[in-house]
Amino acid sequence: MIDLIHVTKRFGAATAVDDISLSVARGELCVLVGTSGCGKSTTLRMINRLIEHSEGEIHIDGQQIRDFREESLRRRMGYAIQSTGLFPHWTVARNIGLVPRLLKWPAAKVRARVEELMALLGLSMEEFADKYPHQLSGGQAQRVGVARALAADPEILLMDEPFGALDPLTRESLQEELRELQSRLQKTIVFVTHDMDEALRLADHLVVMHQGRIKQQGRPLELLREPTDAFVESLLGGEDRGLKEAALLPVSQRMLPLGPRLLARERIGQQASLREALSLMLWRHAERLTVVDDDDLPVGELSLRRLVGVRSDD
Amino acid sequence: MTECRRLLVPLCWFSLLLAATLGMGQLEGLFRVIEPDSRQVIYERADFLSLLGRHLSVVGAAAVLAILIGVGAAIAVTRPRGRDFLPLVSQLASMGQTFPPVAVLALAVPVLGFGTLPIIVALLLYGLLPIVRNTLVGILGIDPSVREAARGMGMGSGQILRQVELPLAAPVILAGIRTSVTINIATAAIGATVGASNLGDPIISGIVNGNTAYVVQGALLIGLLALSVDSLFSRLPSPIVR
Repeated sequence: MIDLIHVTKRFGAATAVDDISLSVARGELCVLVGTSGCGKSTTLRMINRLIEHSEGEIHIDGQQIRDFREESLRRRMGYAIQSTGLFPHWTVARNIGLVPRLLKWPAAKVRARVEELMALLGLSMEEFADKYPHQLSGGQAQRVGVARALAADPEILLMDEPFGALDPLTRESLQEELRELQSRLQKTIVFVTHDMDEALRLADHLVVMHQGRIKQQGRPLELLREPTDAFVESLLGGEDRGLKEAALLPVSQRMLPLGPRLLARERIGQQASLREALSLMLWRHAERLTVVDDDDLPVGELSLRRLVGVRSDD
Repeated sequence: MTECRRLLVPLCWFSLLLAATLGMGQLEGLFRVIEPDSRQVIYERADFLSLLGRHLSVVGAAAVLAILIGVGAAIAVTRPRGRDFLPLVSQLASMGQTFPPVAVLALAVPVLGFGTLPIIVALLLYGLLPIVRNTLVGILGIDPSVREAARGMGMGSGQILRQVELPLAAPVILAGIRTSVTINIATAAIGATVGASNLGDPIISGIVNGNTAYVVQGALLIGLLALSVDSLFSRLPSPIVR
């Protein structure tokens, strides 16, 4: 869907992005992660031509982005940024309807779409439609920003640290919502962040950048287990590397079928992560957990030995 | 209803202005007190209504030109292509204001002759700075992320200017126009020295003939006009909330 082929960006003598190649498949959520100034935002902004690349080629759906008119290229892609960039003189509803109006949708269709999106992002129409951006909390404003990015139902969504300025609680709930949204909408998303936990939580495809180059890319677990160089290892590793991995693995992967033993008192959902399971064990002083499905019916059990990955149980 | 209430104050000022213009003759007794020795105490070489009309049209013409040139220039130098001229334009506009209008008149009369043209030129130069400066401040003061988002959403530069930049800068631009016009209503009086007859006439004539009553009449009407126009500006509907 999106292909970057040997792309380089120079600002004068400085090289911001140095010969990177990257492919994002349709429906994939690709996260660019790295320290500030590593070229991740520049890379993102080259995709919608807010910055023109100096060398190499960028393709959307097999077509060079330079073949499109800038404005029509951008209207095909949603764009959400950290500071939201909502227009302060427009109401929430009008902000969300921006791109559909630019695409000259009939007014009734725009209105219907705005309603649909506000419902999708949990913003009540009566409460928020006529509010102005300065009347919103950070989380609400960012929801509106995401709604606006999704407004014309673009196949591609570009997100530049959209949750960076939010408090940790709001950030986590928006990450959760984004994942859920993504499982329903199957957009192709390029997401930039410097927060490694956020990157691991969201990414299908993780790209670690450093000083304008791609250090390593692949599935989050691959990078976590087999970092190819010291920088990636230092970024991903540290003391809680094991916890980071556990956060990526679901309980269902390590649980055993129900045995003859009595059910353990503490329960955990099979979709929960091993990290959550471990936390529960620590908190409840429990060595065994009963794993339940979505309807709260027991489907297996998880012991501490299994959780930490000891092969043979007992 | 609220519309009416908003315009109440400017309306009061304008009625006061009109009453003073039409009924100046009724105040003869009052002016007699100021100027007991003169044969005539009410300025009668032209009626006040036509003086007011001419005053307004000179200020109006200068304001329209100043807005067109000032806002236009400020927009031009905030485009990527005109950025290089930004310091030059803001400097030129400041120079326009340091140049005394009387000096402009003295220089303009030999070129443009006597009459209304030189005073319009003088007012235009004098009124340009507040408009240029405020338009620049208004446009440059817009949160860069708003412009970035507008571009990222696929708005063209014309759309960004009309739908985002101008509406957001409008309150500041309007404040600049208000300052410019109010100052020029007062400054226009000096036009009377170069034969542009307006509300400055009674003042100049009063000074020349030593008739304080004339001076007071001209000054009174100019003051009322400035207050009326200023209060009208302050009641203009603001296109942006807060």
